[in-house]
Amino acid sequence: MYDVIIIGSGVVGALHARELSKYPLNILVLEKNNDVSMEATLANSAVVHSGHDPKPGSLKAKFNVLGNRMYRQLSKELHVPLLESGGLVVATSPEEELVLEELFVRAGINGLLDEEYKMLTREEALRIEPNLSDQVTKALSLPTTAVTFPWEMAIAGLENAINNGAQVLLNHEVTDISRSDNGFVVHAGGDLFETKTIINSAGMYSAHISEMLHPKFFTITPRRGEYFVTDNRFPIVQTVVYPAPGKKGKGILATPMVHGNTLLGPTSNFAAFDAQHKTTPEGLKEVRDNITKTIKHVPFDKIIRSFAGSRPTADVGDFIIEETSPGFINLGGIESPGLTAAPAIAKYVVEELIIPRFSVRPKQDFDPIRRERVKMQELSIKERNEHIQEDAKYGHIVCRCETVTEAEILDAIHRPVGARSMVGTKLRTRAGAGRCQGAFCSLEVLKILSNELQIDPIEVEYKHKGSFVLAAKTKEAQ
Amino acid sequence: MKHYDLIVIGAGSAGIAAALKAHDAGITSILILEKDKEMGGILQQCIHSGFGVEMFKEDLTGPEYAERYIEKMQQVGLEFRTNSLVTELHEDRTLVYTNPKEGYVEVQGKAIILTMGCFERTPGQINLYGDRPAGIMTAGTAQSFLNKDGFLVGKRIFILGSGDIGLIMARRMTLEGAEVLGVAELNPYSSGLARNIVQCLDDFDIPLYLSHTVIQVQGASRLESVVIAEVDDQKQPIPGTEKTFEIDTLLLSVGLIPDRHLTSQAGIKLHPRTGGPIVNNRYETNVAGIFAAGNGLHVHDLVDWVSLEGERAGESAARYVLGELTDAELITTEPGPGIIYVVPHYVLKQVDEDVRFYFRVDNVYKNVNVNIYKDDELLKTLKKNVMVPAEMEMIKVANKDMLDASRVRIEVEVL
Repeated sequence: MYDVIIIGSGVVGALHARELSKYPLNILVLEKNNDVSMEATLANSAVVHSGHDPKPGSLKAKFNVLGNRMYRQLSKELHVPLLESGGLVVATSPEEELVLEELFVRAGINGLLDEEYKMLTREEALRIEPNLSDQVTKALSLPTTAVTFPWEMAIAGLENAINNGAQVLLNHEVTDISRSDNGFVVHAGGDLFETKTIINSAGMYSAHISEMLHPKFFTITPRRGEYFVTDNRFPIVQTVVYPAPGKKGKGILATPMVHGNTLLGPTSNFAAFDAQHKTTPEGLKEVRDNITKTIKHVPFDKIIRSFAGSRPTADVGDFIIEETSPGFINLGGIESPGLTAAPAIAKYVVEELIIPRFSVRPKQDFDPIRRERVKMQELSIKERNEHIQEDAKYGHIVCRCETVTEAEILDAIHRPVGARSMVGTKLRTRAGAGRCQGAFCSLEVLKILSNELQIDPIEVEYKHKGSFVLAAKTKEAQ
Repeated sequence: MKHYDLIVIGAGSAGIAAALKAHDAGITSILILEKDKEMGGILQQCIHSGFGVEMFKEDLTGPEYAERYIEKMQQVGLEFRTNSLVTELHEDRTLVYTNPKEGYVEVQGKAIILTMGCFERTPGQINLYGDRPAGIMTAGTAQSFLNKDGFLVGKRIFILGSGDIGLIMARRMTLEGAEVLGVAELNPYSSGLARNIVQCLDDFDIPLYLSHTVIQVQGASRLESVVIAEVDDQKQPIPGTEKTFEIDTLLLSVGLIPDRHLTSQAGIKLHPRTGGPIVNNRYETNVAGIFAAGNGLHVHDLVDWVSLEGERAGESAARYVLGELTDAELITTEPGPGIIYVVPHYVLKQVDEDVRFYFRVDNVYKNVNVNIYKDDELLKTLKKNVMVPAEMEMIKVANKDMLDASRVRIEVEVL
């Protein structure tokens, strides 16, 4: 019997697991994919927003502002990079200047402190971000805006939760939920799990999960966002540059990423469920056409990747954070600014909705620190040589573009919720994320995975379930 | 810190040839650094034949060609390190390399030769619309899987781009039992050598779709299909020309880029067209004592030419170490109409050996003159029946004929 089952291991589920692991509870996270956080958390703008944008009085506004203030400590404890870049919303016309003024007022109502938002002239804005376009006339400065690595935030939260007693099961898609005398029975991946409470943080599938127990009261529609990623050797902006927002949300941003790349996007277009992750000529053209409005010198020839992410947009226009029946907490429509809001939502749900049901006090031995990963590339030569002397595998470079060593890959595989696929390895170590995009190291990474997981090379997956890298072995290889 | 007269970065066909030539010229303190576990570079995964026709008058496989050079290196006793990646290079010719045995080591060379080869343009660098499933990779990646470990990456293959590696892999995968359904090339002409079109596609009835590109990839986990379409003069897809192929693998052979990850730190200037360093006729970069050759300088078609270029860089580096090189004014070389680029980018205004200009044309040409102008005076003309972008051209000009010039221009004259 579990105390809490969390459905979905995106950043929302992960930070709930971590928050719950501060208490002496039996916690289980169920994830349908073969790795954690492979949906909305994997592909988004990575921005920790200030809270200037959501509609005043909304849950989005409340948890955004609170969440932003939690990120610094969280990043430190979980060793997740946080780029304190600040942000600028820029106007390029008198009409847009009016929108900026509206946002300025809104920022105050939403609870930003005086020093957390400021109207700037063009000249002042250029001192913060020299690469603004010539059309920019004014800017709203938001210094608490930051950029994180959402995927690492999620996995770091889960690792920390596991070290504090939580459990995570991959490849366990929830297929049914029913009530029982003590709570619920959850059917997942062919197994049955009993639990006293459930947190539904299934993102894109949250309405589907909710309907296993409730009549339908909200729907989720994928809202696709398409992006370009540029080469990390040619940074474009130092701060997050937002256009003046329009009907379609915050608009197309230029975002400096924690690994040095710049992200251009997203678009915002509703998409069919099976088309939510597809890039389109129209979408990427929209990014290209709009980005030059706010910034200049956009190096379209330095693009290394394009991708489409997807936001789980609820028809109610706000986050759904509700105990919709006793012991069942529905988290629906946690789209942007969901990444920023996640730690604040977790704190609220755990402290206000879950813990009162169990008369428990926080554990004395909760360890808030996630063991830091060794990132050889970021160390001095002296420090690197110390690691190599201890373990020669730190001297064996597998990915040359990002100088990722065998020891780092082995650590990524053997950590809690370790790497099980090529993409999973890349996300955890950056092996294959560089200029050759794995052309020179994927064979070796595949062999390491096969060896460590004790599976045949043929069984190594690229990303999702069944996405095998290899089709066959030749006669010589057999 | 240990010092060498010459350090060569990369022990592929250019690097070994450079080191051997420098040794012949009287330099003995040489270190060769190779990132891979064995020497020979990309030749080790090129198990097809066609190598060495010029250098050895024999038709060798890649590993056989490499072996000839590695043997010579061992006979001469050149010092080398494998598994050794160079992570830093500085203007004062110090560099840092690392390997599991020694860790990170700093060394300095009186001269350095960059022979680091090239890498393939990746799926992310071209506009592929649709999903991001497994089964999309460069042809070279598939080649390393197959030729190094015997792994076949797919059974039903389509190839985008008609670069030589793609063509070679079309044949190789067919011979391993995979079905290659076609090759699409954005340009109206092939990017690969004519002999590869014949031997790798025509001989196996694999269709080549010129002026076509992939407009859609589909597959939730593994690739399921691609849609290709014909493109117009502006390279835009023409509606109504779509064809769908049900496949599990899309291989990309859409161009090669010189590896230049060490150049910016050392202040080495790159050429926008070749993607490699800017060099003079001694293959010296703008940083004194640092030389470049091979595919890391500009992408070649034939390994024999890579070796020859390595030799010339090796000889120059040796002369630099021996103090035999002197500075001089520079003559600029310019690509004129019909020419994409010319290497070397500068020629020193002093009596030296004849200069070999390497260049590529920007389109398919028939019955043309290639004219070389010294300022505005016609210096030399070469008659050509056919010229294609896929084949690098070379023209030799006597150094003494250029000494009073400020510019040398090569252009295509359509007759």
